[in-house]
Amino acid sequence: MNDAVDVALRLLIVFVVFLTFPLIVGQTEHKVMAHMQGRLGPMYAGGFHGWAQLVADGVKFAQKEDVVPSGADRRIFQIAPAVALLPYLLILLAIPIGPGEGAVGQVLDAGVFFVLAVMGVGVLGSLMAGWASANKFSLLGGLRTAAQLLAYELPMLLTAASVAMAAGTVSLPGILHAFHWWWVPWQIVGAVVFFVSGLAELQRPPFDMPVADSEIIFGAYTEYTGLRFALFLLAEYAGIVVLCGLTTVLFLGGWHGPWGADGLGWVWTLLKTAVLAFVVIWLRVTYPRLREDQLQKFSWTLLVPLSLAQIALTGIVKVVIS
Amino acid sequence: MSPATAPHGFLSPTGVEIAFVLVGLVTFGAALVTVTTRQLVHAALWLVMALGGLAVEYLLLTAEFIAWVQVLIYVGSVVVLLLFGLMLTRAPIGRSPDADSGNRWAALVVAVAAAAALVWVVVDAFRATWIDLDGTAAGSAKVTGASLFQHWVLPFEALSVLLLAALVGAIALSRKAKADRAAADIPGARSDRPTEGAR
Amino acid sequence: MAPIPGSGLAKGLAVTLRTMTRKTVTEQYPDAQPELPPRTRGVIGLFEENCTVCMLCARECPDWCIYIDSHKETVPAAVPGGRERSRNVLDRFAIDFSLCMYCGICIEVCPFDALFWSPEFEYAETDIHELTHERDKLREWMWTVPAPPALDPGAEEPKELTAARKAAEKLAAAQAEPTREEEA
Repeated sequence: MNDAVDVALRLLIVFVVFLTFPLIVGQTEHKVMAHMQGRLGPMYAGGFHGWAQLVADGVKFAQKEDVVPSGADRRIFQIAPAVALLPYLLILLAIPIGPGEGAVGQVLDAGVFFVLAVMGVGVLGSLMAGWASANKFSLLGGLRTAAQLLAYELPMLLTAASVAMAAGTVSLPGILHAFHWWWVPWQIVGAVVFFVSGLAELQRPPFDMPVADSEIIFGAYTEYTGLRFALFLLAEYAGIVVLCGLTTVLFLGGWHGPWGADGLGWVWTLLKTAVLAFVVIWLRVTYPRLREDQLQKFSWTLLVPLSLAQIALTGIVKVVIS
Repeated sequence: MSPATAPHGFLSPTGVEIAFVLVGLVTFGAALVTVTTRQLVHAALWLVMALGGLAVEYLLLTAEFIAWVQVLIYVGSVVVLLLFGLMLTRAPIGRSPDADSGNRWAALVVAVAAAAALVWVVVDAFRATWIDLDGTAAGSAKVTGASLFQHWVLPFEALSVLLLAALVGAIALSRKAKADRAAADIPGARSDRPTEGAR
Repeated sequence: MAPIPGSGLAKGLAVTLRTMTRKTVTEQYPDAQPELPPRTRGVIGLFEENCTVCMLCARECPDWCIYIDSHKETVPAAVPGGRERSRNVLDRFAIDFSLCMYCGICIEVCPFDALFWSPEFEYAETDIHELTHERDKLREWMWTVPAPPALDPGAEEPKELTAARKAAEKLAAAQAEPTREEEA
C-alpha cells in the first residue's frame, strides 16, 4: 500500500512538473524574447505582466475546431501529437533533481540510453504527422525532421557516451554521484555539442528548418489545429525542459554546487536548468535560421568530429588519472 | 543468469509472467500486421510497435540495457526505413496496390522455418532455466558489458569489423560513382560551355 | 588582424542581451496616452467663425471628402442710404474621414485660417458612414489643437509678426506725425 502511494505520488509530481515547467519556459520565452527585441510582450492576461498568457492560449486552443484534412490518414494524423509528446513525459521520470532516492521519478540502471532512446521516439511523432497530413509542406517538414534526427542523434550519443565513460556508469544518478567540479572544463566541448545537437533535435531556432514558417508554412504541423497543435507546441517546450535538465545532469553537475549540495541540491538543478532554458531562448532570438544543407554540414563536419575528439580526450584523461 | 531454486509451474503464473505473455501476443500481432498490411507507412509504424513490444519483453526479463538500446537503434532505423519508403515509392495514403508480393507463400514457409529453428534452439539451450527476477538484475549495463567484453568479445569485434566494412564499402561506392560521373562529364562537356571542361 | 572564429556569434548574443536590459519602446497606448508632437496629423478641426464659405478647401481636396452647404444672406446697410451687403452663411461643413487621406491640402489652401490639424486620433467608428463628421464635431476638435511649437532658435520671424509690426510702426508713425505738426 505504501509503495503504491509512493509510486502514485512520484507520478503525480512528475506529471505536474511536466504540465507546468514547459508553460513557465514558454512564458519566459514570451517575455525574454520581447525584451530582447525592445518590446514588452504579453501584458494583459492575468493582470500582472501577462503571466496567464499561456493559460489564455490554452483556452483558445481548446475552443478551436479539431480539423482533420479529408485526404489525411486519419488515425495516424490523430495519434501523432501523443507520440510527439509522451516521450518527454517518460524522460522527466528519469531525470534526478537532487541526491537521494526521493529526488528522481525512477532510478534507471541505463538512464543515459533510456533518455536518448526515448527522445528519438518523439521525432517519430513529427514524421508521422508530416506523412499523414496529405500536404506537401507537411511531408517536406517531416522529411527534414527525419534528416535532422539522423544527423544530430549521433553527436548527442557520442558526447553522452563521453560522460558515461568519465563516470564509469550509464545511470544518471550514478553519473552525478561521480561528478567533480573539474569535469565541467574537461567535458565542455561535449557539453556544447550535446546542447547544440539537442537544440537541433528539438527543432529550435536556429535549427528550425523542419518548421521553417517562411519556407514550408509550419512543416509537419501545417494541417494541425486546436488541441492537437497545442500538444505539438507543448512537446517543443517540454523538450526544452528535458534537454536543459539533461545537459545539467550530464555536464553541469546537477545538484552539485559551491554550497548547500545536501539539502538544497534540487535548487541547484533547477537553477542550472533555468539558465540553460534562458540560453535556448537567447539563441533563438539572436540567430537566423540555418539553411537545410548548412544544417547537415554543421553536424557532419563539425559536431561529429568534435564529439569524437571529446571521446578521445575523455579516454586519455581517464587512463592517465586511473 | 542464475537459475532460481524454487520450482516453477505453468499453472500458477505470476504477474510478470502474465504481462510477458500479453506483451508477447501484442508484439506477435504487430509483427503479423507489419508484413500483411498493404499500407507502406503503416507497416513501418507497426514495426515500431513490434520492436517496442520486444523492448518491453527485455525489460520484463530485467535486461534493461538491451531494452533501451533496442529502442534507440530501431527507432533510428525505422526512421531511415520510412525515409527510404517515402523516397523510393509513392507511399500514398491508403493502400498501395503493388505492395503485395507473389512470393507470399514461399515467404511464409521461410518465416515459419526460421521461427521453428530459433524456437528450437532457444528451447534446447535453456529448457527449464528460470531467471530470478527479484535478485540482482541479470541484464544490467554492468553485467551485460562484462559478459560482452569477456565471453563474447570475439563475435562482438567480428560484428564491428563487418559494420566497418559495410561503412567503408558504402563510402567507396559513393565516391566511385561520383568519380565516374566527373570523368564522364569532362569529355562530354558541351561546346557552349567552354569553361566547364577546363575546371 | 583576423577576427577570432565565433566572435560574430558572440557579438550577436551581446546585442540581444544588451537590448534586453534597456527600456522597451512599446507604447502602452490604451493605458497611457501617447505623447504626440504638436503638428501631428490626427484629425482636421474647423474654426467655423473664420470660415467664409469660399469653397477653396472643398475644391482642392484630392478625393472630394469635404461637403459644404451654404446660403446667402443680405446684411442691411450699415449707414442710412448705403447699399445692402450679402454674405455667405455656412449651413453644413462635413469631412468624410473614411475618404480623407490626411494630405492637409485643405489646411494649406484655407486663406482665412479656418482649418487646423489636431493630434486627436480616437474617433474610430463601427460603421463607415459614421466617419463623416459634421461641423459641430469639427468645431469641438478645435479645442484640442495645440499651440504651434516654438520656432528654432535663430529662425526667421513669423510672417504674421512682421506684418503686424509693420502695421504697428506705421500707426505709431502716423500718430507721431500730427503731434509734430502741432509743435511746429
